[in-house]
Formats: sequence, C-alpha cells, structure tokens
Amino acid sequence: MRREVKLDPVSLASGVVIAALGALLLVDSAGGLHLSLGWMAVVLTAAVGAIFMLSGLLGGSGGKNPE
Amino acid sequence: MNDDTPIMPGPEADEPTAPTEPQPPAPDEAPTSEQPDEGRDRPRRLLRSSSDRVIAGVAGGLGDYFGVDPIIFRIGFVLSILFGGLGALAYLLLAVFVPTDGDPDAAQRLGGRLQGTGFWRAVGLVIIGILAIGGLFGLAGGAAFAVALGWGVPTAIVIIVIGALLALLAFRGGARWLIPPAVALAIGGGVAAAANLDFRGGIGERTYNPTSVASIPADGYRLGVGRLVVDLRDLNWQQHRVVDLSTSLGAGQSNVFVPKRVCVVATTHVGAGESEVAGDVNSGADVNHSVGTGASAAPRLVLDSSVDMGQLRVINSDNADINTPGYGPGPLHVDTAPQRAAEARACAAK
Repeated sequence: MRREVKLDPVSLASGVVIAALGALLLVDSAGGLHLSLGWMAVVLTAAVGAIFMLSGLLGGSGGKNPE
Repeated sequence: MNDDTPIMPGPEADEPTAPTEPQPPAPDEAPTSEQPDEGRDRPRRLLRSSSDRVIAGVAGGLGDYFGVDPIIFRIGFVLSILFGGLGALAYLLLAVFVPTDGDPDAAQRLGGRLQGTGFWRAVGLVIIGILAIGGLFGLAGGAAFAVALGWGVPTAIVIIVIGALLALLAFRGGARWLIPPAVALAIGGGVAAAANLDFRGGIGERTYNPTSVASIPADGYRLGVGRLVVDLRDLNWQQHRVVDLSTSLGAGQSNVFVPKRVCVVATTHVGAGESEVAGDVNSGADVNHSVGTGASAAPRLVLDSSVDMGQLRVINSDNADINTPGYGPGPLHVDTAPQRAAEARACAAK
C-alpha cells in the first residue's frame, strides 16, 4: 500500500496567518508601529476566525490519504 | 383518595415497567387543560434548555428544573468564574453530560461518545482535555510574560518560525496539531504587546511614603506586577506647593494617596482596566484620563501615571487606609462621591 501525501490547505493557510501575526508582533515590538489593545483584539479575532473559516470550508482531516 | 377522580391515560401505560394499577393524579396536580398532560407523572429530569440558552442551555435547564429564573444560575456561573473558575468546569461537565430537551447538539454528541468509551476512559479524556486547555493558556501566558519582560522580538520570531514551519509541513500532509499552540502564542504575545505590558520593574507589593520632595525619584516609581502604593500624605505641602510625580505599573493595582486639600492634576493611562482619579471613574481598554488640567490651585500634585493592565486609583483622603482597596468599610466598597467633592474643593481653592 502506497501512501500519497498531498497538500493540506488548512495547515498552509493557518501557517501564513500565524506567520503574519508574528510579523505584526515583530514590527510592534521593534517600535515600527503600535497597535492599541482594541485593534489588536480585532486583528487576533479576525485571524482566529479566518483559521476556523478555512477549516470549515476546506475541511477534511488532513492531507494523508491512504490508497 | 377520591375514588371518583378520573384516571388519566399516560404514555407510561404502554411501557413494560408501568404499574398494573395506574395511579390517579393528585388533586393538586390535576391538569388544567382538556388535553392529556403527557409526562406529568414522569419523574422530573434535568435537561438543558434548547429554547432558553446563551451558551449551552445549562442555566435555562437548571432554572426550569428548580422552577427559578435562569438568570440566577447565569449570575452564579459568571461569579464562580471570577472566584476560582469551578463554575466553568461544572458548566462544561453539565453541557457535555446533560442532554438537551431538543435536537442533540455538539455537546450532547460529545457526551454520548464519551459515555460510549467507558467511565474511566472518559474521565481520562476529560482530564487530557482540561490539561490541553490549561497548556494552551500556559503558552499564551508564557508568551505574554516574555513580551512583558522585553523579549517581544524573540517571541515574534518564534511565532513566525512556527507559522512558516506549519506552512511548509502543509506540503507533507499538514501538521494541524501545531495550530492551537501557535495561535495561543500569538494571542498571548499580541495582547501583551498591545497593552504595553512591562514587568521589568519587579514583582510584589511596593509601598512608598516619601516625606520630602527630594526623596521622590526623578523618574518616579515603577513596578512590574503587583501593588504599587505611593502615599504622599506625609509630605510638607505647605513647603512644597507643587509636586511632580510619575508612576508606572505593568499589571496590578496602583494607588496614590494625597491629602484631601491637595488638588490633583493628573494625566493617566490604563491599557486595560479601570482608572479612578480623585473620584472620577473610567474603565475599559486604552483609558486615557485627564483630571484638573489647567488648575492653578496650590497645593497641587502634577501626576503622570500609567497602568498597563489593572486599576489605577488616586485618592484624595486624609484617613483612607492604604491596605484597604476601597475607601470605606470593606474591600469592594467604593463611594467615589466624597473623592470628587474633595477634589473639586481642592482644585477650586486659590
């Protein structure tokens, strides 16, 4: 039995979202900008919502499909 | 027992465990409608409400079961979260293991799966779930703590690396288990950065009671986490007519005490929490507060104060106890009217 490994779009999209959050935190910590607590709450909620939405839309249980 | 009382047919009549002689309803429980009251004789059962629900219908079901307003249980659950969180655990368990009175929801399906796995295995799964949630909270708190200690850049780099790793692993089948810890790190770090949390000033309780202006540090008083108390009531305000002071607190409670007759000119910032300056109360996120600006009264305190997360209080009172968070009898007693009145009188004086 050969196991085909294919792309997991949920992991890919979540990784991009999380890396973007990290970049935002990096710029904030380096003094490049300062997000208020209110705006940070909006950004974080949007990020988590996007991950949930992608999980729901793209669904599946991962990219590993046994053949 | 009245023998003329009609015998009401019920659904139990068909059940194998039904008594051979159906019992008539008690006179005080006689149905008020002409329709047969199905289920009247059945023992009451605790069910989550599908119609009166805010989260999972637990409070609605409890209210229905005990015959009281569900708001009582809702308030109880919220209060219990504030005082230890046992109510949240109880709510979670009730949501999972108590069925709904309507169509089965996700919590009921989860409870059914847990019950199907056997008691001890279900207990183990619940414990693992609680530990996992606790671990996520720990990760978020750790990230927040790191940012508050000045390690914002390394924390951000770790989050970027995890995000990039997650994206790369997507091409090898994915690693979705990395998503929750990465999100927890991002939330903790992001909130701490946005709130400007700064724990570098130390942890604990600091009480300062300067007796001369010269003993007040030029850069003010600073504390990372805990309670910061600056009591200026022993200063010679006849000699020092205008005193400048700055305080900074990362998280906790910051109190500044001044005599009742001293006018407070304050510029304060609270990242998240409550600001209470001379009886003027504001709360929320990013609370910027200016009090007494333009006042030229003397004696006068010119205060620049910030609290990243928590409570800031500037108290005009000659007899307030520094060990009591409230002004009056009891820690939660807050009567701000005397503070506002004292502040108004002090700042109006020439």
